Amino acid sequence: MYYFDELIVTEIRNKNEVALKELYKTHFPMAAHLICSNSGTEQEARDIYQEAMIAFYENVQRPGFVLTCKIKTYLYAVCWRLWLKRLSEKKRHHYGIDNMETFPGIEEEMQDIQEKENNYTAMTRAMEGLGEPCLGLIKDYYMADMSMEMISQKYNYTNADNAKNQKYKCLQRLKKLFFKEHNES
Amino acid sequence: MSLTREDIEILDRSLKGELTSEEVERLNDRMKTDENFRNEAERHFILVKELKRHDNRRHLRSIFNEAHAEVSLPAKTISSRNTWAFAAIAASIAIVSVVTTFFVTRSWNSEQTSMYLDLSRKVDRINKSQNIILKDIQQEKNKKAPGTFAGTGFLISPGYISTSYHVVKVADSIYIENEKFGSIKTSIVYTDVTNDVAILKIENENDLIITPPYTISSKEGSLAEEVFTLGYPREDVVFGAGNISAVTGYKGNPNAYQVSVPVNPGNSGGPLFNNKGDLIGIISGKQTETSGVAFATKSTILLGLLSEQSPDSIRQSITKFRMTTQSTSSRVQQVKQWHDYVFMVKVFKN
Repeated sequence: MYYFDELIVTEIRNKNEVALKELYKTHFPMAAHLICSNSGTEQEARDIYQEAMIAFYENVQRPGFVLTCKIKTYLYAVCWRLWLKRLSEKKRHHYGIDNMETFPGIEEEMQDIQEKENNYTAMTRAMEGLGEPCLGLIKDYYMADMSMEMISQKYNYTNADNAKNQKYKCLQRLKKLFFKEHNES
Repeated sequence: MSLTREDIEILDRSLKGELTSEEVERLNDRMKTDENFRNEAERHFILVKELKRHDNRRHLRSIFNEAHAEVSLPAKTISSRNTWAFAAIAASIAIVSVVTTFFVTRSWNSEQTSMYLDLSRKVDRINKSQNIILKDIQQEKNKKAPGTFAGTGFLISPGYISTSYHVVKVADSIYIENEKFGSIKTSIVYTDVTNDVAILKIENENDLIITPPYTISSKEGSLAEEVFTLGYPREDVVFGAGNISAVTGYKGNPNAYQVSVPVNPGNSGGPLFNNKGDLIGIISGKQTETSGVAFATKSTILLGLLSEQSPDSIRQSITKFRMTTQSTSSRVQQVKQWHDYVFMVKVFKN
C-alpha cells in the first residue's frame, strides 16, 4: 500500500541508521511548520519531533508491527498531540482535543507514549541518584553486555565473585530508586 | 521478599539466553508455582528492560541530532536592501551567544565542583602566609620552588607511600616531606582512578626502609566506630577525630565511608585510623553543601589493589609486616608514634 514507507520500515527494523536519519530529515520540515505556526519555537519543534520519532522507532521494533497509515500521518498526528499537551502544561492555551484527521488507535498510542515517557523519566532520576561506581557497573553489565570477569578487572575487584556481590547491591538500590520514582509519577 | 543474589543471576542469564534447558525448566516451574517469586522476577525484567530502553533512547537522540545538523529549513527571504543590517544583527547575536555560552559553562562547572570538593590544597592561596616566613626558609639549604598542590600521604610498606589519585594526577614531580625525614623524591607506581587511590615509590632505594607500626585493616569499619586522621592542611601535621557516620560514600559509593572528621584542603590522601590504630581508610573528599561530611576510600580497596595490581616487592613486604598493634597505648602516644609515618605530599607542575 505504502511502498516507500514499507521499504523504510524494513530498513529501520534492520537497524539501518542511514535510513533512520533520512526519514528524520524528510519529515522534520513538516513538524517545524506545524509547531512554529502554533506559537512554538524551532527548538521545541525539534524536541517534540524527536519524541515522535522515538515512539515510531520503538513501534517498528515491536515483533508484530504493521503499518496502518503513512509514516508522515503518524508523525504528524503524534507531534500534534504532544504539542497540544505541552501547550496545556504551559497553561498558556487550553486546547480541547479536536477532531482533526488522524489515524485509528491514536488514543492508545498516546497513552503508550506517555507511559514510556514516565518510565524513562523515572529511570533517568534513578540513575542520577545511583552515583559511581554503581552506575558504571550497572551500565557495563546491562547495557554494554560486559561479562562479570571483564567488569571485575575494570573496577579492580579482587575476583568476579566480589564484583557480582557489588553488582547485586547496586542493582537492589537501583530497583528501589526506580520503583519509588515510578510510583510517584 | 526480595530476590537473592543467585535468583538475580539466574534471571540475568536467562535474559542473555545463557541458561541450559534444565535451568530453563526449573525457572519456568518456579514461575508457575511461586507467585511471590514471579512478581519479583517480573519487576526485575521491567527494570532491565527500562535500563536497555534508556540506553537505546540516548543513542537514538544522538542519531537524530546528527541528522538534525543536516536538516536545511527553507530560509526566510530577506530583501537585499536589508542584508547588511541582517548580517550585523546575526553577527551580534553570534557574539552574544558565544559570550553567554562561555559564562554558562563556567558557572555550570563551578556548580559541579561545589558538589564534591577534592581536598588537595592550592598552595597559591596560602602564598601570602608563606611569604612572611620565607626569610627563614631561605636560609635553609636545598630549597625548592613551592609546590602547586599539596596533600597528605602515608607509609604503607618500606619504600612505598599511599595517597589520593586526585592529589598527584597533574604532577610532574612529587616530593613527600615531614618533620622527621625531611623532603624525599617519589614517583607514581600505580593509580586507581575509580577509587581515587595512588601508590608512590621512594626513588632512592635506601630511603625510608622502615616498617609502619600500623596494619592495613582487611575488615570494613562499622557504623559509629571512632576514627581519626592525621594530615597536612597547613605546614604542620593536624589531628582530626570523629566517627564513621555511614558505611557508604558520596552518592552511596560502596567503596567509601562517610566520616564526621573535620577535613580541609590538604587532608586528601591522609590515613584514617580506627581506635586500635589500624588503617581503615584514605581521606578523599568532602561534600560542600553540608558541613562535617567527609569521605574516605576503604582500606579493603587498598589491600585489594596491593594484592592484585602491585609489583611483587610491595606485596611481599605487605604480607611480611604483621606487627601487633599496641591497642593498650593511649591515643596521644599512638599519634606521637604514628605521625612520623604521615607525610605532606607536594606536587610540582611546570
